[in-house]
Amino acid sequence: MSNAANSIAGLTWANVVKDVRLEWRSRDVFNSMLFFALLVVVIFSFAFDPTAEESREIVGGLIWVAFLFSTVTALNQSWARELRNGVLDAYRVSPAPAEALFFGKCIGNFIFVTVLECLMAPLFVVFYNLTFAGPAWQMVVILVLGTWALVINGTFFAVMSIRTRNRELMLPLLLLPISIPAIMSMVQSTRAVLNGTTPGGHIKLLAGYCVVFTTACYLLFETVLNAE
Amino acid sequence: MKNAFIFFSAITLALLCYGTYQGLVVAPREETMGDAQRIFYYHVPSATAAYSLFFVNFVASIVYLWKRSARADAWAMAAAEVGIVFATATLTLGMIWARYAWGHWWAWDMRLTTFLILWLLYVSYLVLRRSSEAGSTYVMSAALAVVVFLDVPFNYMANRWFRTNHPQPVTLDDPRMKFALMTTMIAFLAFAALIVWFRYDIERAVQKVAATHIRKATRSVMASIAAPAVLFFQLPELEIHRQRTFMYGGYIAAWVIYLGYLLLLMMKRSNLKKEASELAR
Repeated sequence: MSNAANSIAGLTWANVVKDVRLEWRSRDVFNSMLFFALLVVVIFSFAFDPTAEESREIVGGLIWVAFLFSTVTALNQSWARELRNGVLDAYRVSPAPAEALFFGKCIGNFIFVTVLECLMAPLFVVFYNLTFAGPAWQMVVILVLGTWALVINGTFFAVMSIRTRNRELMLPLLLLPISIPAIMSMVQSTRAVLNGTTPGGHIKLLAGYCVVFTTACYLLFETVLNAE
Repeated sequence: MKNAFIFFSAITLALLCYGTYQGLVVAPREETMGDAQRIFYYHVPSATAAYSLFFVNFVASIVYLWKRSARADAWAMAAAEVGIVFATATLTLGMIWARYAWGHWWAWDMRLTTFLILWLLYVSYLVLRRSSEAGSTYVMSAALAVVVFLDVPFNYMANRWFRTNHPQPVTLDDPRMKFALMTTMIAFLAFAALIVWFRYDIERAVQKVAATHIRKATRSVMASIAAPAVLFFQLPELEIHRQRTFMYGGYIAAWVIYLGYLLLLMMKRSNLKKEASELAR
């Protein structure tokens, strides 16, 4: 193997490619995630029955709740896959740095959730009759930062919860309280873009959240992975 | 060690009695809130104690990750659990006061929301401790404690834009009011330290016996006390009586929470003793 393939970047890339290839062949996570998000959109429209004017106010919340829930379903699966055949234990004894595994997983999950968002966003626009009063490119920044904020913490807590007794149940219990500030700023900034006001402070907060928790999860991941 | 504990308990008890006396009797009636304002002398010290304990939890978790000592983990566990008890008392006292002052139990105001989220975060910490597998509990909960503590400033910033109707940090003009707050503050910090000490000893014993059994029944008993208590505040009464109702209601609620928790700890300790003697046999 060449030197480049053994660097952290190379190993991370190998992990990403492996995850995407597995998902491409089986599509078991992505299909259920997509269908779940679609169901949330439809059920919310029954539950709230909003007019075009009201939906402008509430849709920021609806979008992120739908994405949050479908992200949780995806994250649970992403580590459960590694438990079969003892792959996770193999990782732990391998000399490859744990960070490569962590960031590989994060980027893989980020790709899945981003593809989901690209498919769901037009649906939201159609179902809730949305028009952007503010510049729509800001929405791209919010989506990227927001998705990263969910995925970085989610991947970290998923590896924690996979090792508890009530596996799938544990992840939302840990992830939701921690994500409240991030969700708050995602929702507020989405609403600001839809209403044509400036979301400046909220986006900065979200960016700060991403930086702080990426660092914290990066530093703590190896400890958690090897917890005995 | 045992003598020191008893000595410290006696001092704390005296401080608590003196502080409560200062708050209930010596401090003058506030003009707008009347006697209901006296809830403040329990509410603020409880909140301060809760914050201090969560900070202790953070420091102990860092020490655990660094040194891997079981003692640090016991401190972290004790601080988080007792912190939740003080936070629960703070929320309860605040809600009782709000029912009097605002007419409703809860408002999604900045301070209330952030404090509730703080409470939720540390409950999730305890949930993880309960359900993680024996070997990995210490490391995982320490890692979670660090991440949770980092979340607190973001909480404050994200909530900053919310409408706030919590009273601004109050300046107490009357020196007797200041003195009452100061004594209750010291008393509650000592009280928090005392319970953490007690809890820490139990946690050390748990680590030795390596078994945790908690009587869940006690919790449902506490919930059934809380439900009729809410009705107590709904009684229509004269203004002065209403103030007193809320004032005593707040003080009693705080003590139900603290004593209920202490009772729980006592039961836990006696269970542990029983287990230890069975193991020794």
